[in-house]
Amino acid sequence: MNCESVTKLIPLYFYGELPPDEEDSLEQHLDTCAACARRAEAQRELSAALDRREIPPSAALLAECRHNLMRAVYHQDAIVGQAGSLRPIGNRPLLAWLPSLGPWRMPLGASALLALGFITARLTAPGAASPFNLASLTPDVIASVRSVQPTHDGGRPGEVQIVLDETRRRVVSGQLGDSNIQRLILAAAHDENNPALRWESVDLLRSHSDSSPVRELLLNRVAEDPNAGVRLKALDGLKAYTGDPEVRKVLAQVLMHDQSPGVRIAAVDALTAHAGDDMVGFLQGVVQKEDDTYVRRRCAKALQDMNASVGTF
Amino acid sequence: MAQDAPGAVGARLSPKLDEASLIRAVQRGDQDAFEQLVRAYDQSVLRLAVNLLRSQEDARDVFQEAFLRVFRSIDSFRFDCSFHTWLYRIVTNICLDHLRKRKVRKEEQAVVDTPEGPLDRMNDFPEEAAHADPERNLWNVQIGQRIEGALGGLTPRERMVFELRHYQGLRLRNIGEILGTSEEAAKNCLFRATQKMRAVLGDFQ
Repeated sequence: MNCESVTKLIPLYFYGELPPDEEDSLEQHLDTCAACARRAEAQRELSAALDRREIPPSAALLAECRHNLMRAVYHQDAIVGQAGSLRPIGNRPLLAWLPSLGPWRMPLGASALLALGFITARLTAPGAASPFNLASLTPDVIASVRSVQPTHDGGRPGEVQIVLDETRRRVVSGQLGDSNIQRLILAAAHDENNPALRWESVDLLRSHSDSSPVRELLLNRVAEDPNAGVRLKALDGLKAYTGDPEVRKVLAQVLMHDQSPGVRIAAVDALTAHAGDDMVGFLQGVVQKEDDTYVRRRCAKALQDMNASVGTF
Repeated sequence: MAQDAPGAVGARLSPKLDEASLIRAVQRGDQDAFEQLVRAYDQSVLRLAVNLLRSQEDARDVFQEAFLRVFRSIDSFRFDCSFHTWLYRIVTNICLDHLRKRKVRKEEQAVVDTPEGPLDRMNDFPEEAAHADPERNLWNVQIGQRIEGALGGLTPRERMVFELRHYQGLRLRNIGEILGTSEEAAKNCLFRATQKMRAVLGDFQ
């Protein structure tokens, strides 16, 4: 190894990027060459100076970034609003509703259009059968055959009749204030297998939180729904009732136990909108046990706004 | 022999959940899993953005844009590289865009002259400045300008390779993967970066 090659290898040596044999050769050279040893020392000094330049991001900045991100993710309003540029989010079941929000974002009180899902209907009446291209049979169509029989009553010789189970979408329209429509949406808000349907249902109903069954549903969803987006939407619908003791009790439970920091932050905001002295001890307790920096800071800020101490003595 | 830079990138995942399971859960639409995945990497991402861009505002933008891109496109992640590499491709692309725009605007210098004397853009970090010790402040004034000037002389790509190796502790092979180039090209980039800095800074302590 000569000085020229060693000079080039010193940075790699310093960062531990040399193969062991090259590293040995280089070290042997450094032992015998004062000029290269000085270059290696200069590399170490440069590195030490650069180390001192490093800025660790503050905990507050990290918490703020996390909070902003999760708000953008959880609040679809933010996502859709921020970016006409955001493309639909793939075909994930939970998020499949995002690109189709448009029809649902109708003015409050306007007609509700409910797609009730696919209802299996056995269409055995010959008149109901629609013509289809036999050359394009798919496995789904083949699997839906339920019975076969010769055609009677005027059929040509050799003609058969095949009965298929088909699925049919039924659409019901009505006013959101109609109690029957509300009953359907209340039921949809509990569909365990479809968080998107629950979210849409809660979003529609939250404008009718003056109705007891709706408020009961919102309380149930904010406390029980497995999906954080649905819980947030339900919590949003309860904002007008944050002075109600029953609502406050549920929100306090959410703040203490919800797994999502985004939901806990929304609960802090809702609870502190009507902060009273009775909140001081509770918020101090949350500050003690909360492991999310940003939620803790929000609680501490609420306590400071109430002229209360953050800690307990 | 030098060690990897302190605080080398490492996922902070709960031992109960391996990363692949977490990613698959996110791909199925589990937002809580997404939050866990973010938390495994977000400190490293923010540290890279803060130190590379030296601007709290820009770092905040990079953080948001990078993880929203992950959120929107995780369906396309096919496990043909590590998630860390995939994520860092996104992050470094966004950071490189910022650096290139700055080059055009010639806003690279961290310390700028004002009628009241030199103003260090590091003061964009109030919490850091408030807790910094006097010795460090003195060092910032005397040496910081030279260091930032030296770093400002690097191309965005050299700057990125240097940042990833020196501050993030990534291996050059991994850096090559992230930047879509070879390990050899990453080595050359690191060599050029250190040569340029030594030329500007000379020998100092």
